[in-house]
Amino acid sequence: MLPTGVLGVFADAAAVPFVAFPFEPRYVLSIVFVSLYVSVTAVVLSTLASVPLAIAVGFADFRGKRLVTSIINTGMGFPSVVVGLLVLVTLSNSGPLGHLELVFTKKAMIISQFVLATPPITGITLAAVTGVREDVRDAAFALGGTRTDVALTVVKQARYGIATAVLAGFGRAISEVGSVLIVGGNIAGAGGVSKTRTLTTAIRLEARQGRYELALVLGAVLVAVVLAVNAVVVRLGDSKTWTGGGLR
Amino acid sequence: MSLDARGVTHAYDDEDGGGGTGDARRSDGGTSVAGSGTDGSPVVRDVSLSVDPGEVVAVIGPSGVGKTTLLRLLGLFARPDEGAIAVDGTEAWAAGERDRLALRRDIGVVFQEASLFDATVARNVEYGLRVRRSWRERLRDELRGLVGDHEPPDAVRDALEVVGLADYVDHDAGSLSGGEAQRVAFARALAYDPNYLLLDEPTSDLDPRNTAVIEDAVADASDRGIGTVVATHDMNQARRVADRAAVLLGDGVVEAGPTERVFEDPRDDRTRQFIAGELVY
Amino acid sequence: MPIQRRKFLATAGTAAAAGLAGCSSVLGSDSGDTGVAGETLTLTTTTSTYDTGLLDALNRPFQKRYGVTVDAVAQGTGAALETARNGDSDVVMVHARSLEDEFMRQGYGVNRRDLMFNDFVVVGPESDPAGVAGSDSATGAFAAIAESGSTFVSRGDNSGTHTKEKVVWEEAGVEPGGNWYREAGAGMGDVLNQASESRAYTLADRGTFLSMQTRIDLSILVQGPIEGGPELLSNPYGIIAVNPAVHENVNYDLAMAYIGYVTSPEGQEVIDDYTANGQQLFFPRALSEDPDFQQYVPEGWRSEADDS
Repeated sequence: MLPTGVLGVFADAAAVPFVAFPFEPRYVLSIVFVSLYVSVTAVVLSTLASVPLAIAVGFADFRGKRLVTSIINTGMGFPSVVVGLLVLVTLSNSGPLGHLELVFTKKAMIISQFVLATPPITGITLAAVTGVREDVRDAAFALGGTRTDVALTVVKQARYGIATAVLAGFGRAISEVGSVLIVGGNIAGAGGVSKTRTLTTAIRLEARQGRYELALVLGAVLVAVVLAVNAVVVRLGDSKTWTGGGLR
Repeated sequence: MSLDARGVTHAYDDEDGGGGTGDARRSDGGTSVAGSGTDGSPVVRDVSLSVDPGEVVAVIGPSGVGKTTLLRLLGLFARPDEGAIAVDGTEAWAAGERDRLALRRDIGVVFQEASLFDATVARNVEYGLRVRRSWRERLRDELRGLVGDHEPPDAVRDALEVVGLADYVDHDAGSLSGGEAQRVAFARALAYDPNYLLLDEPTSDLDPRNTAVIEDAVADASDRGIGTVVATHDMNQARRVADRAAVLLGDGVVEAGPTERVFEDPRDDRTRQFIAGELVY
Repeated sequence: MPIQRRKFLATAGTAAAAGLAGCSSVLGSDSGDTGVAGETLTLTTTTSTYDTGLLDALNRPFQKRYGVTVDAVAQGTGAALETARNGDSDVVMVHARSLEDEFMRQGYGVNRRDLMFNDFVVVGPESDPAGVAGSDSATGAFAAIAESGSTFVSRGDNSGTHTKEKVVWEEAGVEPGGNWYREAGAGMGDVLNQASESRAYTLADRGTFLSMQTRIDLSILVQGPIEGGPELLSNPYGIIAVNPAVHENVNYDLAMAYIGYVTSPEGQEVIDDYTANGQQLFFPRALSEDPDFQQYVPEGWRSEADDS
């Protein structure tokens, strides 16, 4: 799966005595699991919140709609470190939600990634939803659709855009290091199993120690994971699966 | 039993979602014959129109005169500022939302553009049936669809048969020609067996062959007892398909009556000028 | 005004968190049983103890004996103490006595113990433009580096190493600044790499330097006390429990069990035996027939009883 050049680096790094065998499969797998678990959960929850929000904003006519839209768009560029700090301040034991004891847990990481992923998912979904032609909405209404039916139809018509939105949110979540480091703590148990260590924080850990080759190997794993998830989502968003297959 | 517009007036359309047609409004108070253009949603003023089961009524008039607005009022897309829409004697806007939905579901609509969903032909045609099912049934159908175990119901095939596209069940809507797409749109409105059909310039973009298919389908629907209102600027089409004609000029209906009488012996000067092609827009 | 802002931030975060609160039961990652077994100890510590692998070696027997989990968060001394101040960790293991004392004086920490020590070394390029090699004075070496304007990379991250570096500058009577002085704001590994790339000097803890020695072009120019260098470069580590009277949610029992373990003969032996690259990295300091009572209290602390 990895190019031989990278494997060469891998072997090279393994020869350095200080890192006898740098990555046990169990270690890497647990990190990949934590990364996927946190980012996928955050993105699923964010999608469940973002799509209805985008539809509500997209269809409604209200004062300040432009303002809401530009707030959403600004949120897309919100620095993850700042989000991490805000979540930390909130969840810290000296903060308002301290009694939940969430600092340095996966839940805290999910919360911060939820906050990070929601602006891109909402923003791109909003663009996709408003891009669905009005006459298609009219058609759904004319055929006896309720408000809900029309909304569902718009979601289906905008499914490629929404898939793009979900992938953008996922990309932001799984590749960010700032917030998960702060609220998650990059914790791995003494047994070599990740608790709150993600691929990105593991990469940062290796880089901090100057082990850039190992960091790059983990970077390659991250790219492979993102590619795999993209492939799955693109397949789910494929028209055959959603719109055609059922009637064949 | 009839679909009635009773003295409806509507200044501009802002009921259904806003957007493209929302803000267009005539500024000249209705002195000009043409309205605010094809993109706008022109004013209709104090218009009455009625269609009985099995009857075909043509609404003729130049483009931009409010034919689309009138059809949208009849289709319960928008609430008239004044006047009432009654479906089989029930005043739609005096009824509750649930009742209005039921009334709406007695009416099929075909627009000038096919506006098909990005899906197969069968799924497009089944749409109206699907939204009438319970959520439980719909969920079951979707799940079956995922494993390829859902066959389109007979009504879908029958409706496609009417427009001569029975073999197109599995085709992708996006792959159809303009004429085929419009025929599918017609089948889509027919599939759930409405009592009334509203057709807005259904053939203005079509070639003669596809136009003929649609016109035959209108006649077929009429034979089955469906009351049809067809808005058209094509006077020959009105003469071919309609039992009665209503001439919409300016803000209102200037003349209405049996099609042949309206064309052969128009009583209103403006109708005469319009038919003679002397009114230039 | 700062208070209001804090309140606002908290509210903004609350809204986000509340959206997820309902889902928390589904996520179920850290539910604990009653009793000590199954509980989790959160330890905030410095990157040096973590990155050298010592913590793993130290924690494994502890986890096994008590059936608990130690979550070690490697942050650097300043951040580790700040996390503890917020009540987000149960115990801290750090190496900057001045910061530790401040932490205790503020009431956040109790039961401080000396744990172990190693030392800092001044490292730089083989060419040694400032001519500090073999010096037995850290302050002299720093002064020479400043005088010659040779590049010096500082951690600049409020870590224990950074704190020590500032002490050395102060003792040398030099106010570091100017083109030759670079604050990296990064971890030890990053800083060593930077120094190597730009042929610069830096102050490093011996453990991290040894672990990277083969991959960088830097050598030890001034030794620390372990190899006979100046006492100023000693690097003592302390361990402190978070005061449960300030943060009632902290796991004080487990924190004290942990402090008891790491300062016990068994824990001290693990530290003594831990080697990497064939070299011992840390030297135990908790046990002595003649205990240093200063380890329990901030330096210079006097009780009122003493005064009378």
